[in-house]
Amino acid sequence: MTDRGRPVPGITVADAWRSFRTAVRLGWAIEANWSDPFLFAVYTLAKPLAAAGILVVMFQIITGGQGTEFLQFLIVGAALWNIVFGVMGGLVQSILEDRERYRMMKYVVVTPSSLFPFLLGRSLARIGTSLVAVVLTLGVGVVFLGVRLDPSLLYLAAATILGFLAVMSMGVFMAGWCLQLRQEAWSYPEAIAGALYLVSGAIFPVDILPTFVQPVAYAFPTTWWLEASRRGLLGHGSPGDIGALSDGTVMLLLLVSTAIVLPLSLAAFAWFMKRARQAGLLDMTTGS
Amino acid sequence: MSGFRAATARNPREAADWSTGRIIRTNLRAIMGRAYPRIIGLTREPSWVFFEILLPFLAVSAFVFVYRALGAAEEFVGFVVLGGAMTAFWLNVVWMMAAQFYWEKDQGNLELYFTAPMHLMSILAGMAIGGLVLTSSRALAVIVIGSVLYGVSYQIEQPLLLAAVFLLTMVPLYGMGMLFASLFLLWGREAFHLAQLLQEPIYFLGGVNFPIRHLGVVSGLVVATLPLAVGLDAMRQLVFPGAASQGVLPVGTEMTILAVMGVVFLIGARLALGWLETLARREGRLTLRWQ
Repeated sequence: MTDRGRPVPGITVADAWRSFRTAVRLGWAIEANWSDPFLFAVYTLAKPLAAAGILVVMFQIITGGQGTEFLQFLIVGAALWNIVFGVMGGLVQSILEDRERYRMMKYVVVTPSSLFPFLLGRSLARIGTSLVAVVLTLGVGVVFLGVRLDPSLLYLAAATILGFLAVMSMGVFMAGWCLQLRQEAWSYPEAIAGALYLVSGAIFPVDILPTFVQPVAYAFPTTWWLEASRRGLLGHGSPGDIGALSDGTVMLLLLVSTAIVLPLSLAAFAWFMKRARQAGLLDMTTGS
Repeated sequence: MSGFRAATARNPREAADWSTGRIIRTNLRAIMGRAYPRIIGLTREPSWVFFEILLPFLAVSAFVFVYRALGAAEEFVGFVVLGGAMTAFWLNVVWMMAAQFYWEKDQGNLELYFTAPMHLMSILAGMAIGGLVLTSSRALAVIVIGSVLYGVSYQIEQPLLLAAVFLLTMVPLYGMGMLFASLFLLWGREAFHLAQLLQEPIYFLGGVNFPIRHLGVVSGLVVATLPLAVGLDAMRQLVFPGAASQGVLPVGTEMTILAVMGVVFLIGARLALGWLETLARREGRLTLRWQ
């Protein structure tokens, strides 16, 4: 078989950039412009606020508003987790929509450009929406719920870059994986993001988990990204054991886990694409 | 078919002149036909079982751990497990009732429904019955797994009343799904966003993870409009008879509200369906995909 995975001679970074830009515009058109702007704004604002609202009401019922440290922990975790849902959902939905719904994947694949910049660009609208949700949730926390930010910008910037790389890597892995599935691929990002939500210390400290699940939590970069981001935003760590670690240790663990996940995910995506081509999955429609 | 063949018509006009019995039989067949794939899907799509149990269960687990981290009474864990089970029904209503006609249009089935000799309400009723059976198994699994894993204990003193509340909740819940099915079809491409919008905000307003009375003034409005919230509030009062599960209104009043909601939503669905059909025929949008 001809190795179509190799770059086409003459294709430059500028071509990839053009492909990325076009995909960004397309993704935004699908995600937002074709919707009613009012509804899109409501959808963008209501969903993350309601998700955070559930946690805030639960907190108020049990504590009567005492113990703001835990509330801050909840708000930051709930806010940042929008990125994971946005990235996972964005990358996977993009690749599945283009294959199953719009049936454009095969046309993108036969162009000289690589699928990768197209996929990243295509999912950017959803990722951008999730960033709006992060800012909004944090804003509501600060203005209405007494969340006090004490940002350490350098630490936060490092945590954000590494965390974003880690989450994007996991999303790319998921996108390649979902291309292999015949049924229920649409449900996988939600299921995986939901499982990670449970083990990453997003809304409760990792020590609350059963003992046998805790090593799983510590293995994922999302746990360290959330912890590092909390320290970068709030100036202190989470309640529980993880909060006792030094800032340097948390950053190092985020760096190491990201350094493992990133190349593994990219290699897995390349393999998934090769397999999809060999097995004729790029234009498959499952009807799911 | 053999029953129909016995009454072979002599001309097209006579063939179109159906007796009331035949109309009822055909509509009953339509209901069974549309419910069939959902019920049979219980055994033929194991991946559905996995996801439809797993997704609510993951959410349930996360909220259980939050309550435990906050040091809440174990009663709250029970609230979350029951709420998680009811979430399965709500997800079914949103994705497999409300958004269904829109998907059917995309797949090319909608025009078949319109041209077939039965009422569209029969299709919706079939979807609802099939969805109810399908989701009951998922909800039961969430309750059993959640209760065993997290040690929830129930004090059900009036099981028949509880069953009645559950059934009364399902009627307006699926009636709402029927109503939304027409509206989602009209709103076209917004269907996906609308379905998304009907999740977390409804979990929040519906008090899926906490007693709804803690929403204060808003709880009154919610009780007047959202069957999921009223049903959950009534069921919690019957299953966890402690101070924490004190309802917004007494169970009897909430049952009356559910009954009224059931009638309103079913009539609303019938009217919306007629309006949709007229509009869709006039504008020629019935077969227009991705719009």
